[in-house]
Amino acid sequence: MNTKFKSPQQFFRQRRLRLGLVFAALLIIYLVSVIVVNFQTLTSLAQVPAGLVWLFKNFVPTQQSISYLGPILYQLWRTLIVAVSSTICASLIGLILAILGAKTTSPTPALRWIIRFSASLLRNIPVVAWAMILLFSFKQSDFTGFLALFFMTLGYLTRAFTETIEDLDREKLQALQAVGANYFQCVFCGVLPEVASTLTSWVLYMIENNLRDATLVGILTGTGVGFLFNHYFKQFRYDAAGLIVLLIAVLVILLELTSTQIRRAIA
Amino acid sequence: MLKVIHLNKTYGQTKRSLKDVNFTAQPGEVTAIIGPSGAGKTTILRSINQLIRDDSGQILLDDQDIRQSNKAGLRKIRHHIGMIFQNYNLISPLTALENVLHGRLGAKSTLAGVFGMYSAAEKSEALRLLQEVGLGDYAYQRCDQLSGGQQQRVGIARALMQHPKMILCDEPIASLDPKSTKIVMDILRQLAQEKQLIILINLHQIDIALDYADHIVGINSGEIVFEGPSTDVNDQVLQQIYRQAEQPEQAVTANEH
Amino acid sequence: MIENSSSNTKSLPTLPATKRVTLLTKPRLILRGVLLALALITIYSLITLDRAGLKFGEAFQSLGVNLKAMFLQPTVGQDTWALLLRALATSVGLAMLTTLLGALFAFFIAVFSARNLVPGWLATSIKAVMAFIRSIPTILWVLIYSVVMGLGANAAVVGLTFHSIAYLVKAYSESIEETSTDTIEALKASGVGFWPIIFQAILPSIIPALLSWTFIRFEINFANAIAVGAAAGADDIGYYLFMASGFYFNFHEVGLIVYLLLGVAIVLEIVSMKLRGHYLQKN
Repeated sequence: MNTKFKSPQQFFRQRRLRLGLVFAALLIIYLVSVIVVNFQTLTSLAQVPAGLVWLFKNFVPTQQSISYLGPILYQLWRTLIVAVSSTICASLIGLILAILGAKTTSPTPALRWIIRFSASLLRNIPVVAWAMILLFSFKQSDFTGFLALFFMTLGYLTRAFTETIEDLDREKLQALQAVGANYFQCVFCGVLPEVASTLTSWVLYMIENNLRDATLVGILTGTGVGFLFNHYFKQFRYDAAGLIVLLIAVLVILLELTSTQIRRAIA
Repeated sequence: MLKVIHLNKTYGQTKRSLKDVNFTAQPGEVTAIIGPSGAGKTTILRSINQLIRDDSGQILLDDQDIRQSNKAGLRKIRHHIGMIFQNYNLISPLTALENVLHGRLGAKSTLAGVFGMYSAAEKSEALRLLQEVGLGDYAYQRCDQLSGGQQQRVGIARALMQHPKMILCDEPIASLDPKSTKIVMDILRQLAQEKQLIILINLHQIDIALDYADHIVGINSGEIVFEGPSTDVNDQVLQQIYRQAEQPEQAVTANEH
Repeated sequence: MIENSSSNTKSLPTLPATKRVTLLTKPRLILRGVLLALALITIYSLITLDRAGLKFGEAFQSLGVNLKAMFLQPTVGQDTWALLLRALATSVGLAMLTTLLGALFAFFIAVFSARNLVPGWLATSIKAVMAFIRSIPTILWVLIYSVVMGLGANAAVVGLTFHSIAYLVKAYSESIEETSTDTIEALKASGVGFWPIIFQAILPSIIPALLSWTFIRFEINFANAIAVGAAAGADDIGYYLFMASGFYFNFHEVGLIVYLLLGVAIVLEIVSMKLRGHYLQKN
């Protein structure tokens, strides 16, 4: 280290300078963003409490909103199963891709790079873009949402699965190879049991995430609970919209709690 | 002088961990508390700076009762009591120098503390203290790059930075190798003599305690069973201190907190 | 298919009833149950999915045509380069702004929701409120705020920040809870107060974790900013994406916008790698 012979004063001056630079950079980023976005910091922050008050006044479901409960619950259920099925389908294909693409189990490096690149491409195209592209070909159907979530999830899970498999201790595989297991035996008896709980944990996480994204996709593609929210919202039926928000929150929290429990149980 | 008088502590409904503990520790001397695991060594040490609130009794440091002070008063008293730990408890991503300077935080206003504003004199003193414990060359190293023995010496320098009247040492050498043990214990004994500090150490190594301590407090099941100069400790005394607790002791000592 | 993997648990020849050898431990049993349930839901879902009379052959064919138009012949369409780049800058700005604001507020809230710093009831109640905010999709927060503040940048920023705070409080408070109570105790023992401990001891220990969470949130916020543009009409690249594909059906422009977004994603990836590498090296 070349810092050995510094005096404490010098050391702290340097440290302060560095800290100062970081703060200056953050401030500049903030100010530039404010200008680019055209955001009025103080006015907006001052409106936050009023917004919350408004929210509690108008978004609270009333007696009348109960009548909307039927269609809302139905759409919520549709949205949930689209989120689940898109995640599961993506995870099956993602798993195959990950086994072919992970350093430890990949048959050839060329395949590895192709899979890496495609996964990164899929992941980095925002779900909004997926929804809009697919909407044109697949119209206003659940299938559009399903595919949009599927493609994005496939990108995410392929990467997550690949990393999980690569984190696996190489020696464990070597132990199996030493016993004389072939490639498929290695994969099915060595790799998969070892990573099963981590992978499931990722799948559960993606389901939670996709449930939230499904709402957004629904707004864009006119399906599921997102569409219903948008519908009520645009007609100023805020109590019904509020009921949807509340139910989504309850569903997401329930899902989170369940998957935490499952994770703990399979760990 | 530290005087502990009639100190009692009960955990839960029934389990009494300290029963009428009385002892004194003199400046300029190393006082060692020895005893089997779970006897209450840690509880005594942490009661002295009130990290553990005891139930009754008096703890007099230079005739001032620590137990009677309010929150602000306690912070002030704590600032004059250094403490070092088995696991050093340094902030590992920070440099040795910064960790030593943390010894001054207790004396600062909240704002100065938050921004870590130290005077030039304090910085020089921190460097000098590091040199005193033999770590002058490591002042700008991150603490997680230092060995255990070196980290413990940074811990001692941090305690000294408080200008303490007393240093409490909670199993300071339990995680150290023999060589580092000797360095750390030598430093502590030297501090007691040169700076006239009260050094109070929890130890589970009897030989080290007898080698380094002037004064021994033996404790068993929360009761003081021996107090006197280390020269008075003989086999009979040791048997009394460690009675009944011999077999399981070795296994759990390292984890004791 | 994970279930199949442990085929070594196939029924063994029945042994005397005393002790059956089984490789099926309880966690594995639960794992299988969960996967089975998810598989059943998936199958049910795929069967009942509303296809709205889609002809799949045609649909996939048209998707192929569109993808070709997008990726092989990108153009600016009815907008200009200047307009699209400016919109892209707005999206990045939105993401940066909301991440910075979110991080600032989240840090202070996180301090009061870390179990090793404050009483349990306070931590639990703050965490519960945050969990509630987090469970509502970002886009809904933006739409809700756009009623109060009017459609546009302000509502977008507030809505996005709201969700960012809730997300980061969780991440930050968990990082704070991971710092050892022993080091905190060491400073308490020397009479150091609450805030100096936060800034001098806890903050330096968790900066790498904070940085990495904040950066993850930045990436999420960038995606969210696009969503907000598309669904709530903020004047950013998401809006142009929405217009090009949903209104003008110009897939050449959609392609260009997707390329722009991929460009930003690549830059973000590189920056995040550099940032982490730099920080780890420095310390």
